[in-house]
Amino acid sequence: MNYLRVAFQESRLKVRLRANWISRIIYPAISVMFFLSIWELLVWFFEVPLWLVPKPTDFLNRFFSDFSLIADHGAATSVTIISGFLLGIFVAVPLALLIVSSNSLQRGLYPVIVFLNIMPKTVIGPILIVWFGIGPLAAVIIVFLMCFFPILVDSMTGFRAVDSRLFYITKSMGATTWQNFFFIRLPSSLQHIFGGMRIGIVKAVEGVMIAEFISSNKGLGFMIMRASSFMDMTLLFSGLIAAAIVALLFNSLLLTIEWLMIPWENQ
Amino acid sequence: MIEPANTIFNSASNASSQEMKFGASIRAIGVTKIYGKDQDAFHALGPIDLEIKSGEFVSLIGPSGCGKSTTLLIVSGLEEVSQGYVEINSEPLSKPISEVGIVFQDHLLLEFRTAIRNVMLQQEIRGLSRIEFQEKARILFEKLGLKGFEDKYPKQLSGGMRQRVSIARALIHNPTMLLMDEPFGALDAITRTQIRHDLEMLWLETKKTVLFITHSIEEAVGLSDRVLVMSSSPGKIIDEIEIDLPRPRPAHLGDYPEFSSFSKRIYNIFERLGVYRFN
Repeated sequence: MNYLRVAFQESRLKVRLRANWISRIIYPAISVMFFLSIWELLVWFFEVPLWLVPKPTDFLNRFFSDFSLIADHGAATSVTIISGFLLGIFVAVPLALLIVSSNSLQRGLYPVIVFLNIMPKTVIGPILIVWFGIGPLAAVIIVFLMCFFPILVDSMTGFRAVDSRLFYITKSMGATTWQNFFFIRLPSSLQHIFGGMRIGIVKAVEGVMIAEFISSNKGLGFMIMRASSFMDMTLLFSGLIAAAIVALLFNSLLLTIEWLMIPWENQ
Repeated sequence: MIEPANTIFNSASNASSQEMKFGASIRAIGVTKIYGKDQDAFHALGPIDLEIKSGEFVSLIGPSGCGKSTTLLIVSGLEEVSQGYVEINSEPLSKPISEVGIVFQDHLLLEFRTAIRNVMLQQEIRGLSRIEFQEKARILFEKLGLKGFEDKYPKQLSGGMRQRVSIARALIHNPTMLLMDEPFGALDAITRTQIRHDLEMLWLETKKTVLFITHSIEEAVGLSDRVLVMSSSPGKIIDEIEIDLPRPRPAHLGDYPEFSSFSKRIYNIFERLGVYRFN
């Protein structure tokens, strides 16, 4: 009986999830189709030339006919995002812990970081070109600079939010500093860190395009820039779609990792 | 009603497979706590003398900010004394003792661990045998009415259940001393009465030394062998009341004619101290 009830509840849950999933896909899909059709019709009706505004069918065709080129650049962009973003996490999280645990770092270092964050990071691009030449490395560093700060700030909030009385309890257990970090502080702050990463990934995707505009010879930003200088409008719009796909991919990837790593929030 | 002596005897023989540990004795002489230095110095506590026998259940009751929590942290070695000294089992206390379980008003459970894994934190950090502790946790969960809630996250539990898990975490390693800082302060009155009884039964079985901080006269009288009344700034112990009521004590403490005289005595002290100002 009990088994049946559980199975019944599960099947109901599945139906609800599927309905939810379908409705989440169908409604936006319908509105996108509607929007593209209006676009297609207007361009066709007013006979707008291709070099000014391409029709959706034009650039969708281009997207598939030149898919390998676009995918190559998309892959290069993705590698840059991943490298810069991981670098951001590996620097920001330990640094946040250091700043939170040291009063002098809090007073001395943090204001400097805040100031550096206020400075527009794209102006560093030309300097990076001088140092590292035109290439993905300069782009990686710009991506790192873009996503570093939100991760730092939210990690700091997370590390501070742990109730200090908990450490009385672990102290009575004889916990070492490392145990306190890995058993208590880090997992307790995980939700905040992911909050920072969610903002960080948006910044990273934004940053990578700018970085590739100014200081790269690979990637979607570079491809779009080149298409623009050749007035290759269909490739330009295909690049736009590819950039949107990359952004969507990274956002959902991060959300999935968060969902997997924070199971206590999903119950 | 069960004879209390009987209960102790039965459980002692039941638990003979598990090692029985006697509660720790606590002795504090002239303990004073001053936070800060010079002009900023704040005299939080003392000097107080404290003598708690092995296996005794002692409550500290007093107005907010009278140094009750400081006292609790001092006898566990988690805070250092400014003056005076503390002895546990006649040994001078110099570092945090490990044979202690602590429960605060907030459950302080880790939200990312299930109930059972919150309790197993003791085993993981101390690096003790996992299998042995799993068995201990099972028994303890059953006694605390937590059976079936092992794999729930704190978020999925009620306030009373969370506090029970917190108590389980404080007891799983079989400490000699249980320190409770207003453990039921955040619970509703009905849950409080039940959990009070459950704690009493558990204590009768294990006879750990308990130092229990509370704001509730009913809780203090309902649980303790002895109630210490404290005054504030600086915190001092100003009265000591032996509660010689039979155990286990009922939900409705008014059954005992002595109860009203005990609570009247505490109310009178609070009125004299100006904690209560009734016209």
